[in-house]
Amino acid sequence: MAAETRHTKGEITAVRRADGESRTLAASLPRLVLEARRIAANVIHGLHGRRRAGAGESFWQYRRFVSGEPAQNVDWRRSARDDHLYVREQEWEAAHTIWIWPDRSPSMAFASKGARDSKLERGLIVAFALAELLVSGGERVGIPGLMNPSSSRNVIDKMAQAMLHDDAARLSLPPSFVPSALAEIVVLSDFWSPMPEIRKMLAGLSSSGAHGTLVQIVDPAEETFPYAGRVEFVEPEGGELITAGRAESWANDYVARVALHRDEIRAETNRLDWLFSTHTTSRSAAELLLFLHSGMMVSKAGGRSTVKAGRSA
Amino acid sequence: MIAGLPLSFAEPFLLAGLLSLPVLWWLLRVMPPRPRRIEFPPTKLLFDIAPKEETPSRTPWWLTLLRLTAAALVILAAAGPIWNPQVGAAGSSGPLVILLDDGWSAASSWEARIKAADELIAKADNDRRGVALVALSEPARDITLMTGGTARVALRQISPKPYSVERVETLPAIDRFLKATGDCEIAWLTDGVDTGRGTEFLEGLTKTIGERTLTVFEGGTPAPLALAAAENAAAKMTVKVLRPTSGVAAGIVRAVDAKGSPIGEARYAFGAQDRETEAAFDLPVELRNDIARLEIAGERSAGAVQLLDKRWRRRAIGVVSGATSDTAQPLLASTFYLTRALSPFADVRLGDRGAPQQVIAQFLDQKLPMIVAADVGTLSPEIRERLNAWIAQGGVLVRFAGPRLAQADDDLVPVRLRRGGRILGGSLTWEKPQHMASFSADGPFAGLTVPKDITVSRQVLAEPDAGLSTKSWASLEDGTPLVTGEQRGKGVVTLFHVGADMRWSDLPMSGSFVEMLRRIVDMSGYTSTPGAGVAGEAKVEMVAPLRTLDGFGAFGPPPSTAKPMSADYRDRATIEHPPGLYGPAEGPIAVNTLAAADRVASLDTASLRARRATYTNAEPRDLRGILLSSALALFLIDAIVVAMLGAGLAAVVRRWRSAPAALAIALALSLLAAPPSPLRAQGNAPANPPAQGNAQGNTQANPANDEFAQRSVSQTRLAYVVTGNADVDSIVKAGMAGLTLFLAQRTALEAGDPVGVDPSRDELAFFPLIYWPVVPGAPKPSQDTLNRIDAYMKQGGTVLFDTRDAVEAPPGENGASQTPGMLTLRNILSSLDVPELEPVPREHVMTKTFYLMRDFPGRFTTGQTWVETLPREDDDEAEARPAHGGDGVSPIIITSNDLAGAWALRPDGQPMLPMTPGEPRQREFAFRAGVNIVMYTLTGNYKADQVHVPALIERLGQ
Repeated sequence: MAAETRHTKGEITAVRRADGESRTLAASLPRLVLEARRIAANVIHGLHGRRRAGAGESFWQYRRFVSGEPAQNVDWRRSARDDHLYVREQEWEAAHTIWIWPDRSPSMAFASKGARDSKLERGLIVAFALAELLVSGGERVGIPGLMNPSSSRNVIDKMAQAMLHDDAARLSLPPSFVPSALAEIVVLSDFWSPMPEIRKMLAGLSSSGAHGTLVQIVDPAEETFPYAGRVEFVEPEGGELITAGRAESWANDYVARVALHRDEIRAETNRLDWLFSTHTTSRSAAELLLFLHSGMMVSKAGGRSTVKAGRSA
Repeated sequence: MIAGLPLSFAEPFLLAGLLSLPVLWWLLRVMPPRPRRIEFPPTKLLFDIAPKEETPSRTPWWLTLLRLTAAALVILAAAGPIWNPQVGAAGSSGPLVILLDDGWSAASSWEARIKAADELIAKADNDRRGVALVALSEPARDITLMTGGTARVALRQISPKPYSVERVETLPAIDRFLKATGDCEIAWLTDGVDTGRGTEFLEGLTKTIGERTLTVFEGGTPAPLALAAAENAAAKMTVKVLRPTSGVAAGIVRAVDAKGSPIGEARYAFGAQDRETEAAFDLPVELRNDIARLEIAGERSAGAVQLLDKRWRRRAIGVVSGATSDTAQPLLASTFYLTRALSPFADVRLGDRGAPQQVIAQFLDQKLPMIVAADVGTLSPEIRERLNAWIAQGGVLVRFAGPRLAQADDDLVPVRLRRGGRILGGSLTWEKPQHMASFSADGPFAGLTVPKDITVSRQVLAEPDAGLSTKSWASLEDGTPLVTGEQRGKGVVTLFHVGADMRWSDLPMSGSFVEMLRRIVDMSGYTSTPGAGVAGEAKVEMVAPLRTLDGFGAFGPPPSTAKPMSADYRDRATIEHPPGLYGPAEGPIAVNTLAAADRVASLDTASLRARRATYTNAEPRDLRGILLSSALALFLIDAIVVAMLGAGLAAVVRRWRSAPAALAIALALSLLAAPPSPLRAQGNAPANPPAQGNAQGNTQANPANDEFAQRSVSQTRLAYVVTGNADVDSIVKAGMAGLTLFLAQRTALEAGDPVGVDPSRDELAFFPLIYWPVVPGAPKPSQDTLNRIDAYMKQGGTVLFDTRDAVEAPPGENGASQTPGMLTLRNILSSLDVPELEPVPREHVMTKTFYLMRDFPGRFTTGQTWVETLPREDDDEAEARPAHGGDGVSPIIITSNDLAGAWALRPDGQPMLPMTPGEPRQREFAFRAGVNIVMYTLTGNYKADQVHVPALIERLGQ
């Protein structure tokens, strides 16, 4: 219980810090504007031009008045130029819903010696910054199971408030829910969960056809395994123990095992046409944000195949 | 008792616990340390890794060693170790007989001996055994068995005797006692000195003891030292230091006078094999005569004390002159020269009242060892007879020639004399006064340097006998003897063939005269003790003991056993005549523990069949506390190390480096836990401060100096000494700049900016003139600095000292040299080799080098300017020369007029300081004085020649 309280406290601190840092990070990037790629009927109007006429603000085209239409649609100024009646059509704009899942489980609180941020902090920073960018781009951002999609300008505050008042158990992976088919999902986690759980999550999220990005945030120590001597490793969530008599001899096997784990995730994401990437907390957070940004821009261009899945950020 | 170590265990069987150490070692080796605990999120992945074959983690060997050491310490502590355990006699049940050496040689280590005896008695008392205490100095006393308590009291009453104890004499009493007692155990506390019949005692003891147990206590204490054969030799007082053992050793012999105040100390040193060595007091004879007691510093025994009486004093010499008019001109009298020559090393008794014959008779009555008769002519047969007898007994008669001796005729001369004498160098002779040629190699003067400056203008001549050459101790260049001498009986007769005054030769004025007399006096005996005269016919009187030494060498009242002795007793001390002073208090006779010829031999007890034991000074010490606390400290270190280890050992090594503080704490804790060691209590001796001179001398070749040198030689520059007083330095800097400017305006010298130098650091050789403002109260520069300045002055540089305080001079004749600046300057110059100085004379070249000056004013005009005194030439031409310059330039110029203050200009060209008294052209003259001084240092005496140019041209024109 004490560990639980400590973790909660650590999370609160991390949320507060991430709140500030993410704003500066978000301000440093150009407005991230996702362009509509697909059209769906049920999406709400947004800023994405859908390259077709519809409800929107920007001009799309004039077309001949079709009889039967309400007369109020006629654009009289255009129609006055010649003998035909014209209707002014706006481009149909639609807003995207993006679900961001920052992993806040105890394992994310890990920070090895020399690392600047814990994984949790890094995840929150990127989540907040991404949310800020997306909202300023007109998108709707939500946290699965915690916050409904919102396009409020102070989305960071809302996210932070939601997290601070969340008293549910901290899960590693987003809870199972069915996003709309055109929603984007960004999962920021360390993905040290067993493969079946990851598969199950991916299957649930992609069942409706939604796409997304998995970002594995890891600590440098988790990459390199810089331990030696007699070490007892404790799993922070489950509390499992394993003792290595000579930890330095485990390093190679560990690195191979991590690579295998990633390959498995990558195979799964490739199959589902998702993106998978890893991020080390020793690198800058902006790098990861840039990657996510560009990934979404690419997806706008329409060819996911051009993005190398699993590109490392 | 462990062989070689004073260590024993109360419960030695517990040491078997040490056997468990290997088991402990094995156990410690396989027990792994607690692993480090790390929260690691991907731990689940680790479960998939096939577990490695884990070798059991090993404790590092040093940790194991640490723990084993701690365990061993605990086991050792449990066994109850005792340092310096009490040694007892073997566990026999019979009474204990303690033989105690208590001669003088036992005194120096008496405490150890008493302590050993005390312990023996305590042990015997514990075992309810009787104790018999036998002091080996008391053969007469019957030996009785005592209880422990009584024996202890009896032991306290024994004190070392001040004389040599012959142990053999106690043997019969021991024999009687042993026969009566039967079975008993014997312990002999020996001092290891053989007093002569040691072997006899050992044999007797073996026989007496028979089959009884004998424990011999020996060694463990420093061997006793003794003094013997003090001798007041010609140049120094020597005393022999004796010892029974070998090995290199050294020490100090102290000399004190009759009142106990120290007079001197002399070192002695034993070589590895020496049993005797010598300490010599190289003191003036007056001091040596005051020595009443010699003692070895730090040695408390009667043997280490040598008492001196009058026999060791210097000699009294009677001087008698045959001249009657001696008192009329006392400084020309021969007795005056003799007294002065003899007084450094002898007591001179002048016989200036009465006729020579009476005086000689008085001297003979006083039993003087030596009589000097200067120009004493004929003596009455009675006196001659007595003199002859006295000489035969060892008297030394020294005669000097003179008109009376030349006319007289007696046999108290070593050679036959040709009556009348001869005169050399007189107006009627062709011969010149003679010089001394040589000292006879066999005579007493052998080895003296022959003085070449002594002339002899008159002498008495010896008849050329066959034995003349052997009797002549010193001869003149023409081969005639100057001093002749002859051994007669035990005494000596010597004749100086010249007078003891200056009329015949100047020998009495020379140092050689003193040396020659000293050699002669050395031949005379030590006499003049009452009753022990050379004549030997006085009745030997008995003298009662006055004060005697106890065994430790301290004076005390004579014991009841001390008896009067004859005054000529010269033997070693005995029980009847203990060492000390005998006779009247004003002239006591000393008896010493050892006679002059005695030696100290060591007693070899190897032939005895006995147990050996060593005296121990130290208290028995329980080592359990130390061992347990060290074990505790080790465990503490172990705990800290383990706590720091936490996990893998490789990480530990890293931590060791990163956590020196933890290590320091561990160390500090272990030190705290350990008992304070006396070694640690000793402060470090302060390191010698590096020599000042070296520190300054080594600043030569470095870039800064090179740069300084380049700057200094690229242009002619005026230099000034930086005093460290900011006011003075700024004024002087401005002053030198002002003078440089003035020089550039008026003369061909366009000097560079003036340079401030530090004579202790900077090279001075680059500057023709160094201006040195003297700050009152400034400390004297270091000797190294002064040496540099001296070298600079010697190599042609000029230092201009300016005390800048002419106005502060108190009025009066000598006022100018009483100012504080002058006093400081005097202090500075006191270590410099400064030439003779004079005020600048009118014709000095410095007054003419550029401007024609009369004096050298600065801010003040009253101060005098001093330069090196010019060599004076007496001839007329020199008088007429309008300018005078010596060779070279005066290395030093001293003024008090504050020249720099007058030269100092503000940046706007206005003068910095007002002038005193402020005459209109005073500043101009001050600058001119500066120009003249600078030109003087630059051109030297060139201008002195220039002033002759008109005259030379005039001459050429003719």
